[in-house]
Amino acid sequence: MSDVAWSNFKQGIGYQGLLLGFTVAAAATLLVVADRLTREPIALRHAEDMNASLAEVIPASLHDNDLLANSVTLTDASGEPVTVYRALSGHQVTALAYQVKAFGYAGEIDVMLGLAADGKILGVRVLSHKETPGLGDKIEVGKADWVRAFEGRSLGDPPAERWGVKKDGGDFDQFSGATITPRGVVRGIKGGLEFFAANRDALTATVVIQRREDRAGAIQPSHP
Amino acid sequence: MTDSDTKQGTPWGRIARDGIWSNNVILSQSLALCPTLAVTGTATNGLGMGLATTAVLTVSNVLVSLIRGAVTPEVRIPVYIVVIATLVTLVDLGLNAYAHELHKVLGLFIALIVVNCAILGRAESFASKNRVLPAALDGLMMGLGFTITLVVLGGVREIFGTGTLFAGASQLLGQAMSFLELTLIPDYRGFLIAILPPGGFLALGFLLAAKRVIDARAADAAKRRATVAAAIG
Amino acid sequence: MSIETPAAQAGPFAHEPVSISRTMGLVMLALLPATVFGLWQFGWPAIYLFAATIASALVFEAMSLRVAGKPVRPFLLDGSALLTGWLLAMTLPPWAPWWIGVVGSFMAIVIAKQVFGGIGQNLFNPAMVARVALLIAFPLEMTSFVVPTPLFSAEAPGLLQGLAITFGGQGFDAFSGATVLGHVRTELGQGHELSVILPGLFGPLSGALGTVAGSLGETSALLLLLGGLLLLYKRIITWHIPLAMLATVAILATLLHLYDPERYAGALYHLVSGATLLGAFFIATDLVTSPVSARGQILFGVGCGLLVYVIRTWTSYPEGVAFAVMLMNACTPLIDHYVKPRIYGRDRKGSPIEYADDAGVSR
Repeated sequence: MSDVAWSNFKQGIGYQGLLLGFTVAAAATLLVVADRLTREPIALRHAEDMNASLAEVIPASLHDNDLLANSVTLTDASGEPVTVYRALSGHQVTALAYQVKAFGYAGEIDVMLGLAADGKILGVRVLSHKETPGLGDKIEVGKADWVRAFEGRSLGDPPAERWGVKKDGGDFDQFSGATITPRGVVRGIKGGLEFFAANRDALTATVVIQRREDRAGAIQPSHP
Repeated sequence: MTDSDTKQGTPWGRIARDGIWSNNVILSQSLALCPTLAVTGTATNGLGMGLATTAVLTVSNVLVSLIRGAVTPEVRIPVYIVVIATLVTLVDLGLNAYAHELHKVLGLFIALIVVNCAILGRAESFASKNRVLPAALDGLMMGLGFTITLVVLGGVREIFGTGTLFAGASQLLGQAMSFLELTLIPDYRGFLIAILPPGGFLALGFLLAAKRVIDARAADAAKRRATVAAAIG
Repeated sequence: MSIETPAAQAGPFAHEPVSISRTMGLVMLALLPATVFGLWQFGWPAIYLFAATIASALVFEAMSLRVAGKPVRPFLLDGSALLTGWLLAMTLPPWAPWWIGVVGSFMAIVIAKQVFGGIGQNLFNPAMVARVALLIAFPLEMTSFVVPTPLFSAEAPGLLQGLAITFGGQGFDAFSGATVLGHVRTELGQGHELSVILPGLFGPLSGALGTVAGSLGETSALLLLLGGLLLLYKRIITWHIPLAMLATVAILATLLHLYDPERYAGALYHLVSGATLLGAFFIATDLVTSPVSARGQILFGVGCGLLVYVIRTWTSYPEGVAFAVMLMNACTPLIDHYVKPRIYGRDRKGSPIEYADDAGVSR
């Protein structure tokens, strides 16, 4: 092919189409290969993240199972699904953990709530939030000890009307300069405790089905 | 910059100087301001974003330069975009799998590298007209200039905002680099606005002004030298 | 180098003695009653903060002028930096630490004024830029208000104790008190109703006199109104912006109050609370950052009033005068573009006005 013919061919729609097609095909191949290679490590990282936040609220001494493997999904009062991770010691449910949503000053706050089987709070950790740095972010355990005040509390302790910040006549401190954030978190946790109270039986029933490590498929009790 | 200035030195030196200083992506071209302002709350984030962008920029320059003979002007934009988007996705997957902590911080912004106009800009204005090696060097140097600017910007905002420098660097660079993490002002109360978006604009404004001042001083000095040289000669 | 005005040789040369420093001086005179009241009411810490803010504003002005290579003395002595520092201090919580005033002065003078090119060049009202920047950067200090403890009263902090509060970082939890706007906002958020919240907290008398917690110079509605009227009388400002702004707030408040009196407070509450009057007479009327034409000024005032009400009522900030004025400052070039003053001899579209007797000549 002469230079002129080649450059004419390059101007044609066929060449342009082929060029685009080839580029896209090459890109797609690369992406498929990369996705295959990284899928497993990425899933592993996400599981590690989840395990790390669960370990924050459920002490390792309480269970001998893989928390991620023994989860159940229930629906809360508003119809949203809640995934509950259960800590087992043998076939006995010793603790559970699940995420609750709270609403702060700047939007949603995701909180991981860990409960003992008797409904007492083992630990509370804020997973993500958009609160003002230096003010509302004292809900992070790295910034202040505030969230530890919930440990050992339960729905009846303090009584329901005192589940609030001090400014509202409750038992929990607010931060100087920020009331809305702690108020939201306290409300969210109270909601989480109410969810536990409503589903207590389904959540703490002795797990007679084989433990997840031994079989495939999640434990799915019928919804209460 | 006068003509005689730009003609000094080898093309390699000129490419390097263009990328790092005289044609700096942020300070001179004012491109890529979105990621610049969004991620530079800390020096570490700036460094991570800068390195990820540098990697994409260098490889995309090489690829674009390699296929420059085959790509016709009519379809060049879609082709470049596909190349860049693929690279960014690869970086995203790679970071998520192998540098997860950094990915948690930068995750939102990595996708934005696709629309970082600096990358398409270099593909258009340099890589598509030059051989592979100069294109690679151009990508590397432009990326380096971008990275340095982000680190300086992030560092300034971090020092003013939280009193630390390179906080969380060990998550990005490994435990060996944890000596970088400094607490410059213990018990600092924090100047919140510096790490919030307005602080990004303020700090960038001062950086731009500083570059103008330095350039003006350099031009003055060069003129003075030339006058002296002329007087002697 | 100086430019000399040719000496007047003959003819009726009338001269209106308007100068920047005279305008600034009159504005300060108008501010004086409310300021003195605020300083008396909040005592020594407020006096120290006021002094620190103004002094640092002057220092930053001098430094900026020096860096920019402008003559320092004439610009420093025109009173504009003094007024900016003064206005800023009026909007600060009275017992805020000294560095709040200094950082605020830096934001106002260096960032908001001199970076834009100095006096007459700024897009935004410098004092409001500083106020907003401080509120965002130091939300704790900027929302720590105190109940009034008038100078020389028994519980007021003395000379030295005041120093400890302003310069020593001594806490003052015992004196802390929420502003009316802030308190009402919190209570409404709790689901309480206005008929429960307002009695005992807010009376038209205390609001008008200013014997309530609030920013240093914003509490006394009556004295601010007095200052505003002086400015109007002296023709430093025209009625357009203040009236448009206050009327908008009042009308909106009245309408919504009629709609649901338990959730929306009435007009008087909004007019005497917070920075409404200070904003309407002294801040929104800033000659540099407000529109030129009368119609533009009315538009500007209505916008300010609307935003103040919206921000106070439906956003997460209890007070919105600073935000409202800044947002409308940003609209000023747009307003000036569309609402131009008529050029002498031309109609509003810019074409020459045709008179009957010269119509034949020009064609």
